[in-house]
Amino acid sequence: MSTQRYVRDLLRGRRPRRFPADAEAAAELRAAITLAAAKPDADSPREEFVHDLHRRLSEQLAPAPTARSAPEPSSNVTPLRLGPTRRRVLLAGGVAAGAAAIGAVGDHLISADSTAGDTEAAGTLEPNVGTWRQVAASSDLEVGGVRQFDAGSVVGFVSRDAAGLRAVSGICTHQGCRLNLDPDGRQLDCPCHNTSFAVDGALVRHQLPQPPAALPHLQVRERGGQVEVYLPTV
Amino acid sequence: MSDSGERVAEPRYADWEAVYRDNVTRVYRMLYGKVGNKADAEDLTTEVFMAALGPLRLEASAPEVRSYLFTTARTVLAGHWRRTLGLEVTALDTDDERWLVDLGPEPEVPSTAPQRAEAILAQLPEPHRRILQLRFIDACSLREAAAALGITVGYAKVLQHRALKRAAALGEVAT
Repeated sequence: MSTQRYVRDLLRGRRPRRFPADAEAAAELRAAITLAAAKPDADSPREEFVHDLHRRLSEQLAPAPTARSAPEPSSNVTPLRLGPTRRRVLLAGGVAAGAAAIGAVGDHLISADSTAGDTEAAGTLEPNVGTWRQVAASSDLEVGGVRQFDAGSVVGFVSRDAAGLRAVSGICTHQGCRLNLDPDGRQLDCPCHNTSFAVDGALVRHQLPQPPAALPHLQVRERGGQVEVYLPTV
Repeated sequence: MSDSGERVAEPRYADWEAVYRDNVTRVYRMLYGKVGNKADAEDLTTEVFMAALGPLRLEASAPEVRSYLFTTARTVLAGHWRRTLGLEVTALDTDDERWLVDLGPEPEVPSTAPQRAEAILAQLPEPHRRILQLRFIDACSLREAAAALGITVGYAKVLQHRALKRAAALGEVAT
């Protein structure tokens, strides 16, 4: 049984394997986790881990060696200067914006560029020669809905929220794996390296040394009860 | 020393490395308490710092920075459960936040895991309490636990299963 296997993995110090749990299983695992965490010294991080994460963060944040000694005259606010990474900012748009939405984080904690819309940063796919093509019936795409489409040369996802329609590419910007819509329809998961994007294309999470770019957007419109996306003419 | 009412300025972090050094153990420890295994705790800690440090402004006070790390960690943990088991097995609550934010600057962070485990064990009947203590906290194998209790390995397995179910039922009442 999956619950028992999960407990066995916990006891053996292995990464527990995922399974669709119900409330009863969750209660049991909650108790098992609380007990497993109390093993003496179990909850101290490994030195190698702390060191390695420090190295990865240094790479990601890329602080110029002079950044701290030389003040930046032009800036009246001092967000961490972290290299020329538009992509880093997009990462912030994911988890940090999610955190901000919870309400416990004041805006002043997050540098201004992190709240910049990811839409323009991600870019919009504009084929040299394109055609509006139907990808879904309007009636199949309610507010909050997401639909996958495969138009041959381009695969992607159209979604509708209170602000309207949106279409993004369905290919991970890291190494080109096709993204899957997660079961609750809220994010797009890459099967290759645990990267996830929001349905608006913003990066939500990744475990890569450098954050991959947000997903390109596609032009989308609604005509005659059909959702259409502007795609390359083949 | 002025008394606490007259404190002039709250402490701030000099750079992202100071944020990291001062918080990596406490964030890891907090998340470990919610997932109970190293592999997941390391991944989630990585995710928290990767996501949080980039957009962070250093003029925020140390408690504000920790509060932000906490909120990021709460989001990250919720995402972890959504991806792996489909429902929220554990969550970070206001006690966790207080623990993370209110602690002083010393890098040694006392773990609250033993008290939380004890709170469960103390409510269980003797055989259940002992099997769980032996298996989870003393890291005994089933065989060792069975020998310590003077029962067969097969029964030790059954006992552990029942004890965990009982512990789970306690948790449901408590929360």
